[in-house]
Amino acid sequence: MPREAELSNIERTFILEALAQNIRLDGRARDDFRNLDVSFGDDYGACAVQLGKTKVNTRISAEVTKPFEERKFDGIFTITTELSPLASPAFETGRQTEQEVIVSRILEKAIRRSNAIDTESLCIIAGAKCWSIRADVHVLDYDGGLVDASCISIIAALQHFRRPDVSIDGENVTIYSLAEREPVPLSLMHHPICITFSFYHGGETVLLDATLHEEQARDGEMIVTMNRHGELCQIAKLGGVSVDALILLGCMNMTVTKVKDITELISTKLREDATQRDVGGLIAELSAQNDR
Amino acid sequence: MASNLVFPGDTISGVNIPASKSLHPASGLYRESSCAPILATLAGKLEQNPKKKTAHVTAPNARYIPRVGDLVIASVQRSSMDFFHLSICPHIPQAILPQLAFEGASKKTRPQLKPNDLVYAKVLSASKNMEVELTCVDPSTGKSEPEGLGPITGGMVFDISTGLAARLLSSQSVAVLEELGEKLAGGFEVAVGKNGKVWVDCPESGIRGIYAVGRCLQETDCDNLQKSEQQKLVKRVVKETGLG
Repeated sequence: MPREAELSNIERTFILEALAQNIRLDGRARDDFRNLDVSFGDDYGACAVQLGKTKVNTRISAEVTKPFEERKFDGIFTITTELSPLASPAFETGRQTEQEVIVSRILEKAIRRSNAIDTESLCIIAGAKCWSIRADVHVLDYDGGLVDASCISIIAALQHFRRPDVSIDGENVTIYSLAEREPVPLSLMHHPICITFSFYHGGETVLLDATLHEEQARDGEMIVTMNRHGELCQIAKLGGVSVDALILLGCMNMTVTKVKDITELISTKLREDATQRDVGGLIAELSAQNDR
Repeated sequence: MASNLVFPGDTISGVNIPASKSLHPASGLYRESSCAPILATLAGKLEQNPKKKTAHVTAPNARYIPRVGDLVIASVQRSSMDFFHLSICPHIPQAILPQLAFEGASKKTRPQLKPNDLVYAKVLSASKNMEVELTCVDPSTGKSEPEGLGPITGGMVFDISTGLAARLLSSQSVAVLEELGEKLAGGFEVAVGKNGKVWVDCPESGIRGIYAVGRCLQETDCDNLQKSEQQKLVKRVVKETGLG
C-alpha cells in the first residue's frame, strides 16, 4: 500500500548540516514564509490557498437546523478536514491518520473554540431554528505547512462567505434566496492565524514554515495561534524535543509580526475580489444605509 | 504547444511512420495493423522525430514506472534473509535486491545496509505480477562499474521530475550542469535515477556546492527554464552562496 516516503539518512544528515550553516534547501531565511497565494472562487465562501507547493481548498456552506439543546441561543459551526490520497501517498481515504486527527483538533481549538465566529448572531429563533455553518477543507497537495495553510484558507473563506438574509415576523421566518435579497456576511469576532515552528539541533534552531522534507527531519514542533491584535488563542506543543523558554518567547514575537502580515494579505485579496465583483459600482446601491 | 497534447484513444494524424515499423508499447502509440490509423495509448505530449521516422508520447511529470535496464536510486526499507526490500517510489510496491547482487559479495561478506540507506541500482526484471527485482552489478560482467552501482554515501539526493531525469540520463546536455561545472571549484559528481532522483556530491565546495547544484536543478525543473534563463539562474545562485 502506498506509504509516504520516509526521509533517507543522507537527506536527513544533509538538511541538518546545511541548517547549521544557515542554508535551507529552497534558499529561504529561517523565518521566511513561502510564497502565499490566496484566491477566491465565483461562489461566496470558496477559497483556494497555495503556500509553496501545499494547496488547500475550503468551502463554506450554511443551512438552517435546530440548535443544540444545551445552547439554545447559539448557532452551529463545524470544521471538517479531508486529507485525500490526492495530496500525498501518506493519506488514505476512510482511515484517519494520526496527522489528520491532530490537524482537525488544532483547527478546532484555533477557530471554533476561540469564538472566531459569533455563534449568537447565527441564532434565528431561540431553541427552534439557527444557522449551521460548515467549513469543508480539502487538501489537494501536501508539502508541509498543512495547519498554517488550512487555517488561512478557513479564515479567508469565512470572511468571503455570504449567508442568505433572514427576516423574522413573530413566529414566521422568511429566508430570502440569493435572487431576492443580497446575502449577508458572517459576523466574525477576530481572525486567528496559525503559525507552525519546527525545532532542530536539540531545540536550538527554529524554522518557520517547514517544507515536507524539513518537517520529516525535525526534532519537535509548536503551533501558535494568534490574531492581529496580538491576542494568543492557543499553543500546541505535542511532545518533541524540549525547547528553552527564551527561544519560545522569541517565537511568540515572530508570530506577532507574521500574523499581521498574513492578515493584511488576506484583507488585500478580499478587497480585490470585492472590486472585481462590484462591476459598475452596484454594490453601493444595494446598501440600505444612508450616507451621514 | 497545446496542439500536440494527446489523450488515450486520440487518432494521430500527420505522423509519418512506415507501416513496416512496429510500435513499442512504451512509446505510447498503437497501431492495430499496418493500414490502421495510429492511436495514442498514453496522455502527454506527442514528440516526433522526422529524420528517424519515429514518434512517441512523453509525460514529463508522470510517476515513474519501472522498466528493465533503468538506473534508479532506491531506499532500503528492511532486510530479510536473502533480500533487501527497497522502495523505488512510494506509489508502487516495494522492490527486492538480492543480498549477493553486489560487487565482490559472498556469503561471508554481505553489504551492511540499514533502513533508509540509499542504493544506486539497475532494474533487472519488472513484470506485471511479480515484484521488481534490482541489482547492483552489471548482469553480464558482475562488476558495479561503469555506472557506479552500489550503496550511496555522503552528498544529498534531490527530487526532480521523471522528464528531467530522462533528459539527464540521455546524452542531452543540460545548461545548468555545464555552467555549474565551470563555476564550482573542484566540480561535482551526480548520479541520476530514472525514478526522479538525483544524487549530488561536491568534494571541495561542500554543502554550499551541493546546495547550489540541487537548487539550480530543481528550479530549472519547476519553472521549465530555457538555456539563457538557466545561465542567469546559475549566476544568481552562485552569487548568493558566495561560491563564485
